[in-house]
Amino acid sequence: MKSPVRYILPLLLLMTMACRKDLPQLNDPQNYVNANFNEVFDAFWTGMNNNYVFWDIDTVNWDQVYRTYKPLFAKLNVNDSNDVRKAYTYFKQMTSGLVDSHYNLSFADTWLADSGSISPAYLRKRSSPGFHAPISIFHFYDTLPKYYLDAGRRGFTNTPDKQYVAVAGTIQQNILYFFFNGFSLKTLFNTDTINGVKRVEQYFFDALANRTDLKGIIIDVRGNPGGDLADLNFLLGKMVTQPLHFGYTRSKLGNGRLDYSPWAPAYVAPQPGSKAVTIPIVMLADAWSVSMAEMTTMAVKALPNGHFVGERTWGANGPLTANKFYNGGQFSTSWLTSVYTSSLMFKYKDGNIYEGIGFSPDMTVPYNPAALKAGRDLQLEAALSLIH
Amino acid sequence: MKKYLLLFVTFFLLTLSVRAQFEIGVSGGYVNNYVHTNAGYRAFTQYHQYGGFVAGLVLQYHFNDWLAIQADPSYIRKSYELRRDHFFDGIYQYNLNGYLQLPVMAHFSFGGEKWRGFVNAGGYGAYWISGRIQGAMANVFSSTPDVPANQQTPDYFRYNEAYRYDEKYSFDSRRDRRVEWGLVAGGGVEYLLQERFRLFVEARYYYGLTDQQKNYMIDQVPRYNDSYVLQAGCLFNLRRLFHGDDQ
Repeated sequence: MKSPVRYILPLLLLMTMACRKDLPQLNDPQNYVNANFNEVFDAFWTGMNNNYVFWDIDTVNWDQVYRTYKPLFAKLNVNDSNDVRKAYTYFKQMTSGLVDSHYNLSFADTWLADSGSISPAYLRKRSSPGFHAPISIFHFYDTLPKYYLDAGRRGFTNTPDKQYVAVAGTIQQNILYFFFNGFSLKTLFNTDTINGVKRVEQYFFDALANRTDLKGIIIDVRGNPGGDLADLNFLLGKMVTQPLHFGYTRSKLGNGRLDYSPWAPAYVAPQPGSKAVTIPIVMLADAWSVSMAEMTTMAVKALPNGHFVGERTWGANGPLTANKFYNGGQFSTSWLTSVYTSSLMFKYKDGNIYEGIGFSPDMTVPYNPAALKAGRDLQLEAALSLIH
Repeated sequence: MKKYLLLFVTFFLLTLSVRAQFEIGVSGGYVNNYVHTNAGYRAFTQYHQYGGFVAGLVLQYHFNDWLAIQADPSYIRKSYELRRDHFFDGIYQYNLNGYLQLPVMAHFSFGGEKWRGFVNAGGYGAYWISGRIQGAMANVFSSTPDVPANQQTPDYFRYNEAYRYDEKYSFDSRRDRRVEWGLVAGGGVEYLLQERFRLFVEARYYYGLTDQQKNYMIDQVPRYNDSYVLQAGCLFNLRRLFHGDDQ
């Protein structure tokens, strides 16, 4: 009998020779040393490669970015101010098409101290035909109360980061109106000390809870850049008694560009003491309504009595938190103070992703500077007409 | 589907019954699958092995008393787990991947009449036919009641409630490579029962050579299946089964 060994040995040899691809070593972008532009580029490109959450829908070819810009950065000197400015231009070009409308690059290099951060969404909007400046805060604080509110409160609160402004009141006696310029409602309401915004919030919540003659509610988030996610439940959770499903979120799950968690449902959770509001709730939002302002608008639109008047919103819908919590999103490198980008992708309940697109109103009323100058708010008037 | 499978197996048995050198059987067992990859710099995240099962047919064609060729058309679960720890303890995902697999091996046997040892070595092809994901993740839109200022929190679910899921895996044709090739080796013992049946137990190792992902990005971290199988089965000598002990 021939020995089986003569067959087994070649097979074992074949097994040991058969090779797999090497596992690449992936380094944390923060650990790259910014001693030359090769390292600066690799830190940024790798960070985006592994952490950016929109690769599923983004049209930017990130591999092509590598092939194009890796050699260009290799020619630059990180200690030459002209090259640093050239690098700034390259960063602008590399990121110009990114769909994430929260996206913002800020730089640590002192030679770029006079250069603004790079916001691709802003740069795109600025060059689009319908671009306009945000409505002045004085319109909401002075003009609107003067011409439209019969009674109410207004106030502001200064924090180290921002001045928060809020206005609430009634229009035509029985339409409750609430404006605020940033989402920090819960935080400001829960502070021990009384503040201008808290007083306005208290007015709005008291009217919401106690008045039985209201015909409608207008929540005005025009010019609102967003803020705390907790405000969604804090504000809308007082108006629903059942969880309100309005969308889904998902995060990165691995290092691959297409490694995602499943879609988790997004709900507004009822708050203690809430009541089911059945009168019309109208969201007023515009092209400067960003992030939480958009998500709040979307959530209201998911209500059977929800409406949206104004303009298509900014288009930044992905929630943001620190990278470690959802294994993706924003990061920094030694040369980039912040690569500010969403931690999760948001999909509305209709199955569409409005990131980079913006959420459309069911009644479009364009920005009208002449009317605003004359003291008229056509968007607000359209909202009032919906309630009547 | 079951009816066609039964018809096919019956037809196969009948056609084989006239050929004494064929043996056919069934086998099944436990699979411990590792995914050969790494989590890079993902915070508090690791890949782990996960259990599964294998079940299928065993077909053997004997050239002589020590050498045969063997094919095992089978269904095998090659699963793995992604788990986070420390403050993120409780966040995990099981990827339960089902493959139709065909290992083709040289079967070397040695030993006495009743008890024999054997070694299998060869290659396999597999098709990733289905997948299921089960797990828990923090739901960013599901915030929990506020944590009192004087209390500490044990884990992340104290901030964002867990979303628990058990759903069909959606293949992404841009990423998922569903055909897998690899090498296989195993060894075990078999026992001849009543000259007609051979019972066997075997430990086997499947070494995947194909990344589960297509080459779709620079700096892609490959994922290879490493499957350890402990299985048992029974082979039937068809000629003796249907035609008695006459040679």
